[in-house]
Amino acid sequence: MSLPLLFKVLLTRKVVTILLLLQLAITLALLLNSVLLAQQTHQQLNQPTGLDLEETLLVQIKPTTPQLRAYPLLEDLLERQLNALRNIPGVVAAAYSNQGMLLQGGNNGNVYNVDDEERSNTSSVPIYFVSADYFKVLGVDVLQGRLPQQSSLFTKESFPSVVLTQSLAEHLFPEQSAVGRQLNRGSVSAVISDFYGQRNGENVMYNSIQVTRPFSVDWGYTLLLRTSPGQTSAVRQQLTTVLQQVEPNIEIFHIRSLAEQQQQLYRNEYGLATLLTILSALMLVVTMISSYSSTHFQVLKRQQEIGIKRALGASKRLIFIELLSEGWLCTLIGTLLGIGCALLLNHGLSQVISLPSLNWWLPLLTGAILLFSVTLAIWYPATIATRVSPATATKAL
Amino acid sequence: MEQFIYYLKVSLLSIKRAPLPYALTVFILSVGLGVFFANATFYYQLNSDPLPHKSDKLFFPMTLITPNDCNNCRPPRVLSYSNVQKLSASDIPSAQAAMYSSDGYARLSVDQPPTPVSIRITQRDFFKMFEVPLLHGSMWADDEAHNEVLLTRAMALKLLGRTDVVGESILLDDRNVSVIGVLDDWQMLPRLYDANGRNHLSAGEDIFLPLETGYDLNYLSRTNSQTFDDTDYRQLATEGRTGALHQLQYWVQLDTEEQQQAYKQFMQSLAEDEKAAGRHPAPINNQLVPMRNIVDYFGDDPGDIKAFALVTLLFLVVCLFNASHLALNRYLSNQYEFSLRRALGASRSQLQLQMLADVLLMTFLSITGALIIGYAGVSLMNTLLPRNSLFSDWNLTLMAGLMLTAFFCSYLVTLYPSIRASFGSLNQQLKE
Repeated sequence: MSLPLLFKVLLTRKVVTILLLLQLAITLALLLNSVLLAQQTHQQLNQPTGLDLEETLLVQIKPTTPQLRAYPLLEDLLERQLNALRNIPGVVAAAYSNQGMLLQGGNNGNVYNVDDEERSNTSSVPIYFVSADYFKVLGVDVLQGRLPQQSSLFTKESFPSVVLTQSLAEHLFPEQSAVGRQLNRGSVSAVISDFYGQRNGENVMYNSIQVTRPFSVDWGYTLLLRTSPGQTSAVRQQLTTVLQQVEPNIEIFHIRSLAEQQQQLYRNEYGLATLLTILSALMLVVTMISSYSSTHFQVLKRQQEIGIKRALGASKRLIFIELLSEGWLCTLIGTLLGIGCALLLNHGLSQVISLPSLNWWLPLLTGAILLFSVTLAIWYPATIATRVSPATATKAL
Repeated sequence: MEQFIYYLKVSLLSIKRAPLPYALTVFILSVGLGVFFANATFYYQLNSDPLPHKSDKLFFPMTLITPNDCNNCRPPRVLSYSNVQKLSASDIPSAQAAMYSSDGYARLSVDQPPTPVSIRITQRDFFKMFEVPLLHGSMWADDEAHNEVLLTRAMALKLLGRTDVVGESILLDDRNVSVIGVLDDWQMLPRLYDANGRNHLSAGEDIFLPLETGYDLNYLSRTNSQTFDDTDYRQLATEGRTGALHQLQYWVQLDTEEQQQAYKQFMQSLAEDEKAAGRHPAPINNQLVPMRNIVDYFGDDPGDIKAFALVTLLFLVVCLFNASHLALNRYLSNQYEFSLRRALGASRSQLQLQMLADVLLMTFLSITGALIIGYAGVSLMNTLLPRNSLFSDWNLTLMAGLMLTAFFCSYLVTLYPSIRASFGSLNQQLKE
């Protein structure tokens, strides 16, 4: 069995071989890009968030009457809600915020160091107005300065002090301490460890937090709870009832763990990756059917040829290997063509969705998957070929 | 007809002789067409023109009249109240309306639980420009209307249990407003007047409130708002009307090329006047975007459907190659029968007619399979990409498209094998 002979065999059925090669190439291209997208989604879902995703609950809520959405009734409502939440067994800390985290976008604005506006001006930084326990709920580390202990109000003359996440502090004040420095939104009182804010921001870890009451809750607000280990589910079950008992004139949009919030954030990517995976699996099935039927047809057509080979001393094993080799050679050529197709498809897809470039090991992996599938598909027809008796050769005479 | 029935019988006999290859061919064609059709449904609906006869006459004007200097900046996606006032001073457009959307709670009395409602806060011409049908009552007399609302048919039924509710009073966020009209069933999809931030993929609003009332009652935009100065957004009725608080979408209807040119000139003059007055520090950058291009302009085209469209098209190609490959094997297996027919006097055109009967049978079977797989595909896509779920309906055009595609694909799959079977050397074929 030599390579030129294998090529010759493939060339005797040009059309069938070309069709098979095209299928294999496109299948590999799709498989490769699907794996790439699935890998990217997996990385996004597993990137560090700086948050305890499982034991932090988020309630998105809005009072349904205009009176409750305005001060002083709003302040009273927030206090009553926080007190009720703190009294739920299993709740370690509770806080309010004008918005949640792990969001696509939301309330954000520009932040800059007033002494270096031109360089430091950073747009789309999430701006949080929170209660003092917010940091306890998040479980973040204080890296510099002291956290504000009391809520303070915005006045024409002074703004509440600002807490920055580490990445933003380093960006605004490179190689300097940020504490005590003046921003356009107030002076910096502390720097905390990073946490994931908004995806549309310049950097997902940039966040600016002020301990003060929300400006307005016309878009609703967020209640955040930190629970004891293993208590999240029990606490969650009580939340709606407890909040309704505190104040019935509210609309609860959703109650989620931060893990669910993260899933929600990447829902589209997850959906597309799942669809492509299903499609890739279907494509592999289609390719397997094609390889199976092609080999099966060839075995039926080439019975006499196989019989002659057997009569001339070819072993069953040799016949089996020869048929497998034809499939492997096709797959190898298809894989090489497929890498080119994959590059083209990757370019096409990256025009409409965010997709990383191909790396060197993915073609090897997907090529191996394709080879395995094709081998599986042609195994049975190749086995049938080994059953062809040498006596069949006599029919050729 | 008799001949056609005979051809069909021959086709069925041929299928019975080798059912597996035929079933595989139909299966592969059905899978390819079904997956393609599921995606084509979304792609077609998402890219359809909701107002084909006037989408080239509706424009979204945007200017860079903000207090900040900014090089290479695009104009904000939303306009301030004061900028809208300046733009609406022109009498060039046949119609013009500013708008935004907000959320609220409606009920009939304070004893009832509130119903969450979405509100479009807009001006009179909105209904004319986007051809909104009226069931009862009337539109606002002018843009100075206050505390008068129009309800959708569904909202009227939900709140009051009937549709003829003109003159009734409801509580919108516990403030009295009177119903002056009820809209007939209307769903503009995609909702291109609200393309900002992919809102065009979502359902329409429940209640329509006059713009002035929206500002008076401090309704904030629920989608996109930007402040370019220290305007307090809680003071929409006062500071919101004068400051650089941008939250308005603005549409104008320009019916002719002359109107469009004149309006561009008007926007240029306005920007120059503002620059001269020191209210436009940034370089002039006006945009007048037609409705059919607005999604592309904002860059809010959902890439997931486009990406999947590319992939499903490739998948269909693979399935066609595969089905063609299977069909070729099947025809080559039946080569002897074909040759025998030719030897007995059947012409090539008669063999092609026989093939056409095969194609029709395959089209019928593959359409049935494709519809089942397509339906499952649409359901799966609705689960995995729920944002597009409003665009999953099948209509007559789509069905006709599917049938034509299925016929074309079946023909394509059978074409080469049948030609090969009909045109080979007769002697050679009979010996094989």
